[in-house]
Amino acid sequence: MKILIAIGGREFSKPTLDLGMKIANSFKSSTTIAYVGKKISQFSEKDVSVVHQNLDNRELYRPGIRTLEWAYDFLISKKYIEEKDSNKFNDYLLVDEENSRMKVLLKGQQSDKIDLIMRTGEIIEQLKNEVETNKHDITIIGGGGNKGIHQKLVQFIDSSVFVVKNYSVNKKYRILVPVNESKGSDMAIETAINFAKSYKLDVEIVSVPEGKKSIKEVEKILLKTKDKFSKNKIKASTKLISGSAVNSIVNHAKDDSIVILGVSPKNPIMKYFFGSKPLSIAQKCNCPVLITK
Amino acid sequence: MNESYKVISSSILFWFSQKKWFVYSVLVSIFLLNLSTPVGLTVAAYHSLIILLLVFMLVTFEPIPFPAIALLTLVLQVVLGVAPPNVVASSFMNDAVLFVMGSLMFAIAIVHQGLDIRLAKLIIKIFGKSKRLFLAGLMTISAILSSFLGEHTVIAIMLPIGLSVIKNIDTQQSDGKNAVLLTLFSIAYGTIIGSIGTPSGGARNVIMINYLQEFSNVSIDYWKWMKHAYPILIIQLIVAYYVLQFTFPSSLNNIKMRGFKKNIGKTDVKKNINHLFSCLIIIGIIFSWFTFNDIYGLGIIALAGALTFMIFGMISWEEINKNTNWGVILLFAATISLGFQINETGASSWLVMKFNELLATLPSNSMNVSWSIMAVLSGLTANFFTSSATVSLIGPMAIELHPTDISFALSSAIASGFSFLTVISSPTAMILYSTGLVSTKMFFRVGILMFCISIIILYLMSQFYWVTL
Repeated sequence: MKILIAIGGREFSKPTLDLGMKIANSFKSSTTIAYVGKKISQFSEKDVSVVHQNLDNRELYRPGIRTLEWAYDFLISKKYIEEKDSNKFNDYLLVDEENSRMKVLLKGQQSDKIDLIMRTGEIIEQLKNEVETNKHDITIIGGGGNKGIHQKLVQFIDSSVFVVKNYSVNKKYRILVPVNESKGSDMAIETAINFAKSYKLDVEIVSVPEGKKSIKEVEKILLKTKDKFSKNKIKASTKLISGSAVNSIVNHAKDDSIVILGVSPKNPIMKYFFGSKPLSIAQKCNCPVLITK
Repeated sequence: MNESYKVISSSILFWFSQKKWFVYSVLVSIFLLNLSTPVGLTVAAYHSLIILLLVFMLVTFEPIPFPAIALLTLVLQVVLGVAPPNVVASSFMNDAVLFVMGSLMFAIAIVHQGLDIRLAKLIIKIFGKSKRLFLAGLMTISAILSSFLGEHTVIAIMLPIGLSVIKNIDTQQSDGKNAVLLTLFSIAYGTIIGSIGTPSGGARNVIMINYLQEFSNVSIDYWKWMKHAYPILIIQLIVAYYVLQFTFPSSLNNIKMRGFKKNIGKTDVKKNINHLFSCLIIIGIIFSWFTFNDIYGLGIIALAGALTFMIFGMISWEEINKNTNWGVILLFAATISLGFQINETGASSWLVMKFNELLATLPSNSMNVSWSIMAVLSGLTANFFTSSATVSLIGPMAIELHPTDISFALSSAIASGFSFLTVISSPTAMILYSTGLVSTKMFFRVGILMFCISIIILYLMSQFYWVTL
């Protein structure tokens, strides 16, 4: 499994990095930490590139490198990377790869478990390229900023998307898994099992009876899901909640929830213009939300 | 749902989300093409104005690459009957385009020589007595160099010097943050202000000189431009110094004037010779601009500069090819070609006539009002559309307002150089923004004051100084 963590400003990226690395560890996956630099006008892109080369030649940090250095130090401080004299950040090499991608190579870095990369341009386009080129399975991004970004990420990126909103490093979390009979739910359940197992988190499975579905049918889905967790020795409870799916799940999720749910099976065109339930939940919830694909 | 349907519809939606401004621009153009031609305009003139609007939208929102916009401009001029193919082709290349090409290549060659180390030492030697004087020196040297070599050359040389001196400043504290901003803005404002000083300071200046020669048969040489623009540059520099000191009050305690020394190795003999030769080439080119621009044109001289660097092996063609923005060269060539057609078809005369009709409805209709509107419009458009593209499209109208009075054309070109409001307006602003140390809001907040003061300075100089020349 491959995980992509997109970071921006330093303080805002702390929770994203921390939770992202926890997920990466729970899946024992390789991780790419990406800094996407500001989009440069076509008028000035070559001028900016010449100036950045000049900064490299003068051993001055080019924009973005300081953020990656901060991320690297943060990972060492949290023991996600073992600290050695040989893998200090100050001895790095920037490798210019294709399509606005630059990889940071540290002199003493032996493992390929964590990659540091920089990209420049429009964020959705860059992350989409990164996911397509390197086949990442989960993209993790902070919950701040423009909400439209999250919608576009979920819509266009070919990986699961984890929006890390209002996450506190020291808080004890529980996993909230809204389920129905869709394929997307099955994937969400698998992901939730892995994550809950690694970090010994409690799980609450919820479902909302909608349309023609009887309460009995929904209860059956809940029990079937609970069984899957129990087989993996994970403490799970179930709850049937009523009302509209989006509002009732948003109201049920608390600050200490991590919501894991499947992507909507809806037509992409309908999703683009009218949104989808998972997307509305991700936008309205004040806690981390993972939409699996 | 069928998986291939999902993939295809998702791809189309992604294309639309990235290119929506292209779709909107095309729809607006098709809508306008279907309206009846306004009274007083020929069909060709009307179509040239529709292409102008299309180019404005596409360049502002950048939904497709610049070379694509350039090619679209050329294709539409012929397809919509604005001009025959041979006329479009011949207006595509002139001295202004050669200047854009030559100055971009020349800039890359100069930056490649690593002259910033020597320049930093020189600035310290002259202005090193105090930190405030040092920043004033950075600003002044940036302005002087930028007036001759252009913004993109100077910012590439000066920014490493600026970033070296602020390298270890803690930006969490307001004093430190202000010191960083003061240093960066001193270099940026010096560079932006300098670019109005001589014709070679910016492509927009050369484009306007070319238009004046073609449309009004008025010739402006290097000296004449400098006599008009340099006094404005000097006043603007003094104002900018105080505006920045006022906006970013700082003790400057953390600035390390000799910070750049840690970043450089010792210069060797070969490098010394290279630097000496580079300086000789630069001086030779500036001297040629002063003395031979009437005979050879500014563009050919700039190309000669790049050529000399290549012949003497001081830079390879691969390096120049890799770093030259060919898209911008194509775009300028196409917009200049469109500018010529807007003039030839009579579209610029029609626009000016409408503008004058509008002015006639105002209570005080005078030259001053039309000058002010034109200058402010040029300045504002340049801030959202970049200066050279603005002059290449608005220039013909500015000349048409008063074909025999060069103050209108000069003011339009100079006001287009007031790139203080947005980060997309000039390479300097974009490079400053790309450092991540300056936000768009910050740039606008400081810039709005400078923009207004600069327009007032330009007005006063055109009213009271230019008339004495």
